[in-house]
Amino acid sequence: MTNLNAVDPAAAAQDAHLENADVVIGKNTIIFRRFMRNKTAVAGLAIFLALTLFSFVGGYFTQWDKETIDPFNIGMPPSAEHYLGTSQAGIDLYAMTVEGTRISILIGLIVGLVSVLIAAVYGCTMAYFGGKVDKVMLFVLEALIMMPALLVVAVATSGGGEGLKRDLPSWLLLIIVLLVFSWMGTARLIRSLSMSLMQRDFVKAAQYMGVPPRRIVWRHLVPNIGSLLVLDITRGVTGAILAEVAFSFIGIGIKVPDVSLGVLIGGATSQVQTFPWMFWVPLTVMFLLTGSLAMMNDGLRDAFDPSSSSSGKARKTKARRISAETATMKKKAS
Amino acid sequence: MSSETTAGPAESTGPVERLHIAGLHAATDAVLSVRDLNVRFNTENGVVHAVRGVDFDLLPGKTLGIVGESGSGKSVTSLAIMGLLPATAEISGSVRLKGRELLGLSDKAMCEYRGNELAMVFQDPLSSLTPVYTVGTQITEALTIHNPTMSRQAKEARAVELLAMVGIPSPKDRLRAFPHEFSGGMRQRVMIAIAIANNPRVLIADEPTTALDVTIQAQVLEVLHRAQEETGAAVVMITHDLGVVAGMADEIMVMYAGKPVETGEVDEIYYNPRMPYTMGLLGAVPRVDVAEKTSLVPIEGMPPNLLHQPTGCSFAPRCPLVSDACLAGEPALAPVAGGVQHRAACIKAESLGGADVDVQDVFAAPPVPVSRFDSIPRTERSTVLQLKDVRKHFPLTRGALFKRRIGTVKAVDGLSFDIREGECFSIVGESGSGKTTTLLEIMEFHKDQDGEVVIGGISNKQAVDAKTKSAMRRELQMVFQDPTGALDPRFTVYEVLAEPLQNVGMDRPAIRKRIMELMKLVGLQPDHVNRFPNQFSGGQRQRIGIARALAVNPKLVVLDEPVSALDVSVQAGVINLLDKLRAELGLSYLLVAHDLSVVRHISNRVAVMYLGKIVEIGEVDRVFDNPRHPYTRALLSAIPVPDPQLERTRERIILQGDLPSPLDAPKGCNFATRCPVFAALPPAKQEKCLTLEPPLEPVAPSAATQALEAAPVPSPDQRFACFFPDGELDEDMLVVHEPADHHAP
Repeated sequence: MTNLNAVDPAAAAQDAHLENADVVIGKNTIIFRRFMRNKTAVAGLAIFLALTLFSFVGGYFTQWDKETIDPFNIGMPPSAEHYLGTSQAGIDLYAMTVEGTRISILIGLIVGLVSVLIAAVYGCTMAYFGGKVDKVMLFVLEALIMMPALLVVAVATSGGGEGLKRDLPSWLLLIIVLLVFSWMGTARLIRSLSMSLMQRDFVKAAQYMGVPPRRIVWRHLVPNIGSLLVLDITRGVTGAILAEVAFSFIGIGIKVPDVSLGVLIGGATSQVQTFPWMFWVPLTVMFLLTGSLAMMNDGLRDAFDPSSSSSGKARKTKARRISAETATMKKKAS
Repeated sequence: MSSETTAGPAESTGPVERLHIAGLHAATDAVLSVRDLNVRFNTENGVVHAVRGVDFDLLPGKTLGIVGESGSGKSVTSLAIMGLLPATAEISGSVRLKGRELLGLSDKAMCEYRGNELAMVFQDPLSSLTPVYTVGTQITEALTIHNPTMSRQAKEARAVELLAMVGIPSPKDRLRAFPHEFSGGMRQRVMIAIAIANNPRVLIADEPTTALDVTIQAQVLEVLHRAQEETGAAVVMITHDLGVVAGMADEIMVMYAGKPVETGEVDEIYYNPRMPYTMGLLGAVPRVDVAEKTSLVPIEGMPPNLLHQPTGCSFAPRCPLVSDACLAGEPALAPVAGGVQHRAACIKAESLGGADVDVQDVFAAPPVPVSRFDSIPRTERSTVLQLKDVRKHFPLTRGALFKRRIGTVKAVDGLSFDIREGECFSIVGESGSGKTTTLLEIMEFHKDQDGEVVIGGISNKQAVDAKTKSAMRRELQMVFQDPTGALDPRFTVYEVLAEPLQNVGMDRPAIRKRIMELMKLVGLQPDHVNRFPNQFSGGQRQRIGIARALAVNPKLVVLDEPVSALDVSVQAGVINLLDKLRAELGLSYLLVAHDLSVVRHISNRVAVMYLGKIVEIGEVDRVFDNPRHPYTRALLSAIPVPDPQLERTRERIILQGDLPSPLDAPKGCNFATRCPVFAALPPAKQEKCLTLEPPLEPVAPSAATQALEAAPVPSPDQRFACFFPDGELDEDMLVVHEPADHHAP
C-alpha cells in the first residue's frame, strides 16, 4: 500500500547522484528504519518468524508424525527419541506441536489478513458512496454483529452440514466461520475514519486537481488509515489464534484428526498433573505466538505514524545517513 | 485565609523580596507587579525556557498590551500570573497583586484570587463556556463562589446587570439561554461578563478577538473598553495584532523568544521603535488606510528554539542589522535616551532612533514587483474567469423521519463578476456571507449548477466529459486556508508536488525537474523534498501549498484565506511571494479573506459580500477610500489600524448584532437589520429599504466633474447596492473615543 508512491531507491540514488546529491529517500525505507529502531518490536518479529519457520520445517527434524503411534513409548516424558515426549496414545508431541502451530498460524494469518481486507473495502465503500448504499450496508453489518457467533460456530463444525464437513477439513471450515464474524468492528471504524478523512482539505485539494476518485481512495484514504489497517492485521491475527484456541478448547473448533494448539491444550487440561509436558508445551508456544504479535504491534504503530515521537529521532538519524550516503557517493564519483 | 497564603511570601524571601523591602520593587501603587518571571517546562527533548525574565508594573485602570508571535511566551506569562500552569512547570520570580505574592500559592489559595481580583478572558469563546449549563447559571456560579452569602435574587439581578453591561439585548430572557444559542461574539461577551462579575482589579484578556469577525471584534473591543471603565480594572491585553492594541493600550510590551525586547508607552513603541524586531513587526502589517504600494517587511527565519539558552541576542539570527557584538551576550532591557519609560533590548537602540531610519531599508524589503499586465488597460486583457448569476441555495429541512422543507438558505444569491489576466480580485465579508461557498461553486464546476461559470473560455455548461474538466483543472488551482490540513501528512513534499504533475501525465525525469524548479520558485530549499509536512513551519507549509497550486502552470489561482493561519512576520513573506509570483508568472488571483488590510495590499479589485450578495464591487483603492455602501463603511471602520493616535480619534461604526440567520433574511435590502443609515432614516424611506431590493449600480460621476469635462466622463470602476448611500449614520452606532478621556488618570 505504500510502495505505490515511493520513489524507487535505486533510480532515486542515481538521479540524486546526477542532480547535486538531492537524495530522495523512499518512504518505505523511513518506515522500515523507524520499525527497526524499536527493539521490542524487532524481537517480536524475530520470535514470530522463528515460530513460523519452525512450524514449516520443524517436521523434518523428527521421524515421527502426528498420526503414527509409538506403542513402546506411551505417555513418556521428553527424551532423546521423542524431543517433547508422547501423548497418552503414544503420539509424538513434537510432531503434533509443529502441526498445531502451523494450523494456528495459518488460521491466524488468513483470518487476520482477509478480515481486515474485507473491512477496508467494505468500510471505504460505505464512506465513499454514503447515502442509501451506506444505510443498507450498515444494516447488514449491524445484523452480523448481533448474530451469536459461538452458536453458529458450534452448528457449523459439529451438527448439520454433513456434506460440508466431508468436503472441507475442519480448519478450513473454522476459518470461514471466523472470517464471517471478525470484520464488522474494523469495518465500522474504517468507515468513520474515512468519512472524516473525506472532509480534510488534502482530499479536496486532490479532487480539485482532478485526481480520479479511485486514486484518491487508494493514495490518500488508504495510506492514512494504513497504520490502523496494519495494527488491525496484527490484532486480528492474535484474535483469530485465540478464538481458534478457545473454540477448540471447548470442543467445537478443530476436530481430530486435525490438530491445533487449542486441541492440544484442551485435550491436556485434565492431565496436567500426570502429563504436564502435554499441557505446558503447546501453552508456551501459544504465548510466544500471541506475545510476539503484541510486541510487533507497538513498533508498527510508531513506524507508520508520522507524528509519533520516533520521527524526531528519525530526522537526526536520517540527516546523518543522508550525509553519509552523499559522502560515499562522492567517494565513488571521485 | 489558610496558612498556605502566609507561607507563600515567606518562602520566596529571595533577592526579589529584598528588593521590595528596599523600596525598589513596585514603588508606585501598582495593582499588579511582575518581577523576573521565569517559566520552564520539561519536555521529551529537554527543558524549554518559555518565559525568561518578564518585568512589568500595572497601574489601576491602565492597559498593558503584550505583543508577540506564537511561541513568544505571552500566553504562558498570563497563565503563570493566573496560576493556571501545570504543576510540572517550574516558575520563579515574583508576581504581586496589590503587594501580595501570588507565586508559590497552592491551587486552593489561588482560587481566592482567580475570578475575584484576577480575571481572565480566553481566546476561544466557543469552547470556554460549558455547553450543558445555561448562561445564567455560569454567571451566577462565578458570583456564588466568591460571595457565598449573596441571595439568589441579588445574584440574578447582578447577572442581568452584567449581561446588559456587555450589550446583550433582553438580558433577563437570555439568562436562561444555553451557550449554543449564542453566536461567537455573544459568547465572548458572556465570557467578559463572567470575568468582570466580581469587579476584578486585573483583567487578563488572551487574544480575546482573534477568533471573531472584524465587525464583531470591534463590538467586543468596545465592550472590553466599557468594562474597564465601569470596573476601573487594569487590563493585560495579549495579542499578536498590533492594530488591536494600538487604540486600547497605554503601554506595550513586545515579547520575543520568551523575553520582553521592548517596552514603553504606546506612542513611543509605534512611532519610535528602537528594537529591530518591533520595527519589523510594524512593517510587516499591511495597512488598510494606506493606498501607496510598498512591499511588506518580511522577517526571515524562525524564532529560536528555547531548549538552548541563547548566547547572543535571541533575534540576531533574523536581524538584518546583526553584527559580531550582537552575538556576545544577550542585551538587557535598557532605557532609551529621550523616551519616557521606553526601554529596548538592543545594543543599537540609540542609533535606530530618529526619523531617518526607514524600516523598508533596514529589512531590505523586496522591490514592488511589476507585472507585464500592469501597463495594459483592464478592458483590453482577456478574461480568465467569469461568473454569471451564480446561485447556490441549500434547502433547510426539519424532522427525523419525514423531512419537511422549512426554508432555503441562500448561501450565494446571483453573483456575477469577472477576473482579467494578471489581476487579483478579492472577496471580503464576514463569516457566513457566502465567500467560501462562492469558491466551492467555482471549484465544483458542474453543469447542473445554477448560473454559468466560465474558466479560461470553458463554460461549466459544456463540462460534460472528463476531458473538458481536466482542461479546466489546468487553468485553475487552489491554495487552502489551513496549510497543515491541506497537505497529506503521509506524503513527502516530493509526493505532494508530484501528484498534480502525475495527474497530467508528465514523465518521471520531467516531474523531478519541475519539482526542483517549484521549490526554488517559492523560496524553499530544494533538498527539503524528502521531508514530511510536519517538519516544516506554518509559513513553509503554505509555500508548499502554493508550489502545488502552481505545479501545472495555471492561469488562475484561488486563494482561500491564504495567510490567516500564519504569524504576522511570516504572513508578510507569503504575501510578498504571492505578489512576486503574480507579476513574474502573469497569474490572476481570486482571493477570499477577512483581513481587509491584506486585501487592500494585494488586490486590484474587490467585492464586498453580505448574505450571499455583492453589495459593493470595484477597484480596491476606490472602494476603500470612498466606500459608498454603509456595510463597506462599517467594515472599514472596524479594522484596527496600528497607529495609536489615529486609532484613538477615529470615528467607528459599531454594527449592532450579528449577521442575521439566512433563514430570516430581510425581504428588501439584506443589510437593513443592521444598517446604521437605515436606523436614522425617516419611516417613509425605511419602507423602501424593507420592500425593494437595491440593485448593483455604478457610482455616478459627481455633477461637478461632469460639468467641468465637456466629454462624458467614463464612470469609475465601482458599483454598489444601496438606495441611500449619503444618508446620515445613526448616532447610537457611532463611537468616538475622546483622546482626553483615554488619557485621564
